[in-house]
Amino acid sequence: MYPFAYTKVTEVRAALAAGARGGRYLAGGTTLVDLMRETVERPGELVDIEALPLRTIQALPGGGLRLGALVRMSDAARHPLVRTAYPVVSEALELSASPQLRNMASLGGNILQRTRCGYFRDVSAACNKREPGTGCAARDGFNRTHAILGTSAACVATHPSDLAVALCALGAVVRLLGQAGTRQVPIGEFILEPGGTPQREHDLRPGELVTAIDIPPHPRPLTSGYLKVRDRQSYEFALTSAAVALHIDNGVIREANVAAGGVGTVPWKLNGVERALVGQRPSAGLWERAASRAAEGAQPLRHNAFKLDLLKRTVARQLRVVGGGR
Amino acid sequence: MTQPRVSMGSGRPRVEGRLKVTGAARYAADHQVGDVLYAVIVDSTIGRGRITDVDTSVAVTLPGVRAVISHRNAPRLPYLANPLPNNPAQGERLHALQDDRVHFFGQPVAVVVAGTLEQAQHAATLVRIGYDAETPSLDLASAPANEPITYARGDAGQALLDAPVRLDVTYRTARNHHNPMEPHAVIARWEGDQLTVWDKTQWIFAAQFELAAVFGIPQASVRVLSPYVGGGFGTSLRCWPHAPIAALAARELGRPVKLVLSRRQMYFGTGFRPSYEYRLRIGADRTGRLRAMTHDIRAETSRYENFVESILATGQVLYSLPHVSQHYATVPLDVCTPQYMRGPGYANAAYAIESAMDEVAYRVGVDPVELRHRNEPTEDESTGLPFSTRRLRECLLAGAREFGWSERPRAPRSTRDGDWLIGTGMAAGVYDTARYPAQSRARLDADGTAVVEAATSDMGPGTYTSMTQVAADVLGLDMDRVRFRLGDSLMPFAPPHGGSATMASVGSAVKDACDGIRRQAVTLAVRDPRSPLYGADPGKVVVRRGRLSVRDQPARGETYRRLLDRAGRDHLEAAGSFEPPTGEARYSFYGYAATFAEVAVDARLGIVRVRRMLGVYDAGRIINPVLADSQAIGGMVGGIGTALLEHTVTDPRDGRIANANLADYLVPVNADVPALRAIYVRGEDPEADPLGVKGLGELVHVGVAPAIANAVFHATGRRVRELPITAEMLQ
Repeated sequence: MYPFAYTKVTEVRAALAAGARGGRYLAGGTTLVDLMRETVERPGELVDIEALPLRTIQALPGGGLRLGALVRMSDAARHPLVRTAYPVVSEALELSASPQLRNMASLGGNILQRTRCGYFRDVSAACNKREPGTGCAARDGFNRTHAILGTSAACVATHPSDLAVALCALGAVVRLLGQAGTRQVPIGEFILEPGGTPQREHDLRPGELVTAIDIPPHPRPLTSGYLKVRDRQSYEFALTSAAVALHIDNGVIREANVAAGGVGTVPWKLNGVERALVGQRPSAGLWERAASRAAEGAQPLRHNAFKLDLLKRTVARQLRVVGGGR
Repeated sequence: MTQPRVSMGSGRPRVEGRLKVTGAARYAADHQVGDVLYAVIVDSTIGRGRITDVDTSVAVTLPGVRAVISHRNAPRLPYLANPLPNNPAQGERLHALQDDRVHFFGQPVAVVVAGTLEQAQHAATLVRIGYDAETPSLDLASAPANEPITYARGDAGQALLDAPVRLDVTYRTARNHHNPMEPHAVIARWEGDQLTVWDKTQWIFAAQFELAAVFGIPQASVRVLSPYVGGGFGTSLRCWPHAPIAALAARELGRPVKLVLSRRQMYFGTGFRPSYEYRLRIGADRTGRLRAMTHDIRAETSRYENFVESILATGQVLYSLPHVSQHYATVPLDVCTPQYMRGPGYANAAYAIESAMDEVAYRVGVDPVELRHRNEPTEDESTGLPFSTRRLRECLLAGAREFGWSERPRAPRSTRDGDWLIGTGMAAGVYDTARYPAQSRARLDADGTAVVEAATSDMGPGTYTSMTQVAADVLGLDMDRVRFRLGDSLMPFAPPHGGSATMASVGSAVKDACDGIRRQAVTLAVRDPRSPLYGADPGKVVVRRGRLSVRDQPARGETYRRLLDRAGRDHLEAAGSFEPPTGEARYSFYGYAATFAEVAVDARLGIVRVRRMLGVYDAGRIINPVLADSQAIGGMVGGIGTALLEHTVTDPRDGRIANANLADYLVPVNADVPALRAIYVRGEDPEADPLGVKGLGELVHVGVAPAIANAVFHATGRRVRELPITAEMLQ
């Protein structure tokens, strides 16, 4: 680990000042400190924001929820407002990491967490994300867990967050605060596809702080849930995952929110699947038909071609689990 | 005179359990050694080639850094031949920091020593090594092989041609790493020419002999201490290069040096279960009677040593077979030398053979358990010797009964539970009853307490406890009056703590020493006119709870304490030893297992979950059923890992281990481990050793993976011939 300075702030203003001079925000530390140990991350200054007042969950007028950026994963998962209104969020959180990590990690940190690509995390390997211009060792390396969607010549690393997949399905908005003021960015635009600049992972200006995540109102009733497919039953990142939230009225799907994880360089909104669902009546055939569009545009690599079928099946399964109509 | 069995056979809790759960037990790196410096290894980042430059200019300027040692500035060490048999017989071990050759990715190429661990870690990342890289050879399937080891009986080639039922299948198993909880760790301290090492080791003498050989000093000049071992599974049977590196650094700097491998480094400079390609051709008749088996086996080894293990025995002794041909070729690759890992060889052989037996069972339409019964041999057909004990039939019968095997539908893919396909499978297993020469010493003090010692280890099976049980019963004391000590090279010689040999070998030596003490006491008593036992037949004197008495006259007796007080003795002591029978073998010695598994497979999503398992073992006498269950459960958990999760991935371009961490190298978590049950068939093995034990810790892992793989076939109708079985193989 490289030496670093450590500052603890108790006010947002002080945090922003520290961020503006290049300090890196530290919340639960479950990603950043790991990566510092591997020398993937080498911040000169850590700004501990744990004491900032960003730890509440509140209902928004007109429906929807505001999740403070420093809310613990475990607290969010069991919060009554979350659990009753957005089970997909609770489930995505509870299928993440381990209880110990969920007790430490924050929601803001979760959506900012960096990829699990083994070559990114091994500083002796070529990685455009870690060291732009050095190449991508994963593209022709061991890439079983890598992305099939949203990849570029420069990077094929999978976005690891489950929470972000659920938030992406629900159309959540990330609230940002910088010295220049506040911004609101839909999560689908906040987390960036790698393109030619895989080192740039978020629409985050220097020193900007994630303060909250807003889940917008959805028509009710909304049934939702998260399915995560992985090799072992707990404590592993997704091979594939599906977040589904459906508004079914009078037996007809009026609104469909579907996103996939484990397959994209970013949380992957399945617009084609959603379109295939809206206006239809739940049925086993519909789920399969809609899910067959899940891997549109996918580009498999040597070891992850199985994800194409697995993604479709994962989405179909979760559509059935949430939408019924077996 | 046989002592009553009080402790032996009963499920006593671990005597060191409280120390472990309270954190008081000191593992290698926990020892507080004054004035210690911290060492961190720099690993090669190429898979083969030469070091052309070692740039330490930045590293040495950092605060606290005391030295950066590489082949450029390390003294040349003698590296004498090590006479112990735990290194491969062919080839030469890695000489750490002695030359510019890189043999595998992650090889130690330098070491940084600093005043704190953090300083050393940081400086290690700033040592710049230049390389002239070559393309490593890493393909097990295509690389040229070493001269094979072969075995033949009968004419397998012709018998295969003649057999009405033929199978020709190839199974593949992944490389696995041991991944014990405790990483390799060592503290080295020199006092003049005397080296003291606190090491994590499964064999005190492996460290002692290797360090003595590397530095060219007498064994007696190296003292090794290793009182607690946080899991091993075989990885600590050998002294890996980090130990000489730590000792070298300590000698160069004149200060004690502590060196702990990172989890990532646990995949680099230490061994692993090699990956295998195992082609099996089987000929059988239409009733499932086996006629012939041909085994063509390839396994990875390093280019600098030829690692071989017991992959052949299973194919020779498990079933009755007139015609067997075996061809076992190791394939030198640019990798670290492999190392024994739980059930070494036997587990891989069982996977291939027991999977193939399952295939034969379906081919001929015979129940898999019945197929094993039909091929039960009456003797060891590789030697013609009788089995000392062989209770595989009992294992199969008890397993089938307790597992509910008879309710199993014969046809694959015939049970469904929602989205899950349910299947059951079973496999037999065999493991060598290993025994090695061992020594011990025991001392009984006049206060009626005893201390027993042997330089063995306890990596988790409960050696502290089981040896205490043996000593307590043989001495006729309660367990809390006996203290068993281990893990110090000044103690009597013990063999490697591996191969399930410790109970049979060290346990028998402990029994011998304690027998010696009890006999001394009995002799004192029966010859002492003042003793109530004066004149008694020594053969009829027993000791219970520290009191000697005539077996049929419990009132006639006295305590050790009174006896010794009156004799003016403050203690009795005795040395003990065990020598396995030498000369012409009279028996064939093996332990046996039958493992049954139920799995649920979500075939659409490629998910396999083990629902329950049962292992039935013929391991001879069970000294402590609680510890035995702990072993059995651990062996089954490890088997779940082998079958479904564990796979060390090598990047073929440069030999990089692509998943050198516990987030990407998957081992089972609690959620993957369902109800696991173990049963031990009754009976000891009096021919094997004085305790009648056959060894358990290896056996419980053998047969687990094929039982799961066979259950996956039964659930899905799909035969995957590769481990681990993962989602992409089941789509």
